[in-house]
Amino acid sequence: MAALAQLVLIGLLAGGIYAAVGVGFGLVWGVLNIVNLAHGALVIIGAYLTWQMFAAWGVDPFLTLPIDAIALFVLGYAVQRGVINRIIRAPLLFTFLLTFGLNLIAVNVLLLIFKSDFRSVTTAYSGAGLELGGLVIPYIRLAALAIALVMAALLAILLSRTRVGLAIQAVGSDRDAAQLVGIDLRHAYAVTFGLGAAVAGVAGGMIAMIQAITPTAGEPYTLQAFVVVILGGLGRVSATVVGGLVFGLVEAFGQSIPGSGSVFANAIAFGVMVLILVTRPQGLMGRLR
Amino acid sequence: MTSVDPQLELKNVTKRFGGVAAVDDVTFAIGKGEILGVIGPNGAGKTTLLNCISGVYRLDGGDVRWQGESIAGLAPFRVARLGIGRTFQIVKPFTSMTVRENVVAGALFGSDEDRPRLGAAFGRADGVLELVGLRSKADLPVSAMTIPDRKRLEVARAVATRPKLLLLDEVMAGLNPVEIDDALEMVRAVHQSGVTVVLIEHVMRVIVGVCARVVVLDVGRMLADGPPDVVLRDERVIQAYLGERYARRLRGS
Amino acid sequence: MIGMPASRIWNRVFTALAMAVLAYAVLAPLSSLDVLQSLGMPLLTDKLWFRLATITAMFVVMASAWNIIGGLTGYAAFGNVAFFGIGAYTVGMLITKARWPFLLALPLAPAAAAVFAVLIGLPLLRLRGHYFAVASLGVGVAVGELVQNVDFRGEPLFGGASGLFLPILAVPNRDLYFFYLMLAAAAVAIGVTWAVLRSRFGYGLIAIRENEEAAAVIGVNTTAYKVAAFALAATLTGLAGGVFAQWNVFVDQENSFPIGYNVEMILMALLGGTGTVFGPAAGAVVLQLLIQFLSGSLPITLQIPFVPDDAMPVLAQVVLGVLLMLVVVFAPRGVIDFFGGRSTLSIAYLRRSLRETSV
Repeated sequence: MAALAQLVLIGLLAGGIYAAVGVGFGLVWGVLNIVNLAHGALVIIGAYLTWQMFAAWGVDPFLTLPIDAIALFVLGYAVQRGVINRIIRAPLLFTFLLTFGLNLIAVNVLLLIFKSDFRSVTTAYSGAGLELGGLVIPYIRLAALAIALVMAALLAILLSRTRVGLAIQAVGSDRDAAQLVGIDLRHAYAVTFGLGAAVAGVAGGMIAMIQAITPTAGEPYTLQAFVVVILGGLGRVSATVVGGLVFGLVEAFGQSIPGSGSVFANAIAFGVMVLILVTRPQGLMGRLR
Repeated sequence: MTSVDPQLELKNVTKRFGGVAAVDDVTFAIGKGEILGVIGPNGAGKTTLLNCISGVYRLDGGDVRWQGESIAGLAPFRVARLGIGRTFQIVKPFTSMTVRENVVAGALFGSDEDRPRLGAAFGRADGVLELVGLRSKADLPVSAMTIPDRKRLEVARAVATRPKLLLLDEVMAGLNPVEIDDALEMVRAVHQSGVTVVLIEHVMRVIVGVCARVVVLDVGRMLADGPPDVVLRDERVIQAYLGERYARRLRGS
Repeated sequence: MIGMPASRIWNRVFTALAMAVLAYAVLAPLSSLDVLQSLGMPLLTDKLWFRLATITAMFVVMASAWNIIGGLTGYAAFGNVAFFGIGAYTVGMLITKARWPFLLALPLAPAAAAVFAVLIGLPLLRLRGHYFAVASLGVGVAVGELVQNVDFRGEPLFGGASGLFLPILAVPNRDLYFFYLMLAAAAVAIGVTWAVLRSRFGYGLIAIRENEEAAAVIGVNTTAYKVAAFALAATLTGLAGGVFAQWNVFVDQENSFPIGYNVEMILMALLGGTGTVFGPAAGAVVLQLLIQFLSGSLPITLQIPFVPDDAMPVLAQVVLGVLLMLVVVFAPRGVIDFFGGRSTLSIAYLRRSLRETSV
């Protein structure tokens, strides 16, 4: 029983990170109809920003999160406005290749700057945790889960209650009609991608506190983000959060099977994805688009 | 009305979408060599009915029998191989192919009987293009075709599959009167080549000109079945089509 | 040929060029063409050139194979590297664990890849668009991971992280042997594409690409055709993998399931022209030479100030990414139309193409 509770806890904590990574990916996919293969790279750029500020200037990693968000928003806005907008109406193979190219550039530029060494953010409180029935839950992970949930909630409110959010939703459901009512399409797209990137950046900042990072460490997150979005159902932030938590649980239980382990992260992700796609393509929570 | 030896029989065919019946308990039969019109206002379930026959949709009730055997639940390609061809209301040409290649594709597949080899398929295709009046445009890419010609191509590709029964989904929609006359000429030519034809149309004029018998659908249900002149005087049909007020006026006169 | 326009001048140029390259590649190692040698023309006589030529032929196979499922059938497969790896590991396992002779093991590489493609294709090919693309990407990643990490009674089943070492094949003139073997595989891949484009099967595949629903109602068994196309692509890719295993003598996850190959083969097919016979092959030659050049494997390398030599391979990846971006952004229609002979490449055309795809 205690072991079960432990697994659930581990799963939920990991799930918070998956939700944070998935939300931005799902927003971009749902509104822009782009599967962003560079999403993992955005995450890891955020992670390096946090690491850089911590290692060079001793900034507390939690304080770097808003800076990650702002920096990634600007980067995302620029990339969408300058590059992706130009092929947004091309067949999907092209957006796929383009975002793969962006990923390739980002990862290798990071490699040039930071080399392929493992980097980690270790603070005075990194080891501290809440003791719960023989299990220590690091405060950092708890905070990360909380931040992920708050961030998702903020994004959901932004999308449903603000002018810009409504514009994004309008663009997502009907591009041409949105244009007719006077929405600046290029700007709306760029803001959407910027928001997705900002959320990814914050997720990356949290990841830097939890695991050691390398420039290529973001790649698994792209596939996992895709699975999380499919799992929850495309189109709503809340569904993606549920998808992230469920995926965390699935992974925790999957890795607890004897003979398994973290080396099968991708295989588990893929297995879940195919199962969902074939049996329930609209996701656990969703309506079919 | 129904011939003694029906080629296609629909028995209580029903198709629902989320509780709403798009086709509701429709029963009629088509005899070999007939040319039957299916009419009805928008949303009457005409295209849904066609999709039920050609296997695009699975039935929620009833049966479709082809030459005495049930074909309900067969995949679309199997229905095509039995000799039931169809067109789409919104044309779906193979756009990277030329006109002739589109028709060749139809000839290469389609009915199981008498499948040609690649070389022979080109000969067949030219014959079909002649029949529908597209022979002179055989080498054009689809992108260079006008809308009426694309509709012709849609019919040509279906005819090339050697169907015994051809289901035509609004091939006249969006055409002007002159183009409609041309299209009617084409449908007659196809019918005279020995194919049973079901003509689904929104425009009544079309049906009257070419069909000896029409079936009228409204909100998924069958309203009438008979010769056009009789059916079009049926009060329920007039009401469904032209609204209550027009029907009253007609009654009054 | 299906869907080929009347103007075929570029096709002819390409064919002529391909023939010349082929003739050169086949004949150069056999001859001692003194004249050319004195002019400094590389003659495929040294190891480096053999390696380059063999790798290029390998990519010709993979790009042509991708073209069958991606170009002809229109399914954006992003995980074909799984078939390559399965082919490589099939040969590797049969030789190291079962002690089979290479030529007996080789035919099983494409067979294993094909069987896998059928099994995975039946569920995956029901998906469309993004869903199929990412699901197939997942296959490539997951299979590699499984191969490296699956244990059986505590022992790695497929050699684990340390990979499989194959005995060196005892044939005279080994470099030439494997070059010809890979070249033969390339010829098979191109020949198969040629034959498919002149067959009922080819018409069915292109019909599926253009409109799957319309293909079904004219009587194309879409599921069977898609799975067959996927399996055919897998067969060819698996063959390349099988040859690679024995040629390279060493097989591990990294060299048998490189995710980058997925995109490289697609980019090659796009560059040369999807849906054509020689296009993917031509694209493979061009892009592979470029990749080798950028990573410094060619005798002619470029020196960039301030960039140390060991950073060059990384920089090469950046350049590849930028190139990918430029091709995709500025000529999404242009490249295909141009090499497919559907238009001439001009600034006006590129502009129009850009306008069509941007917001």
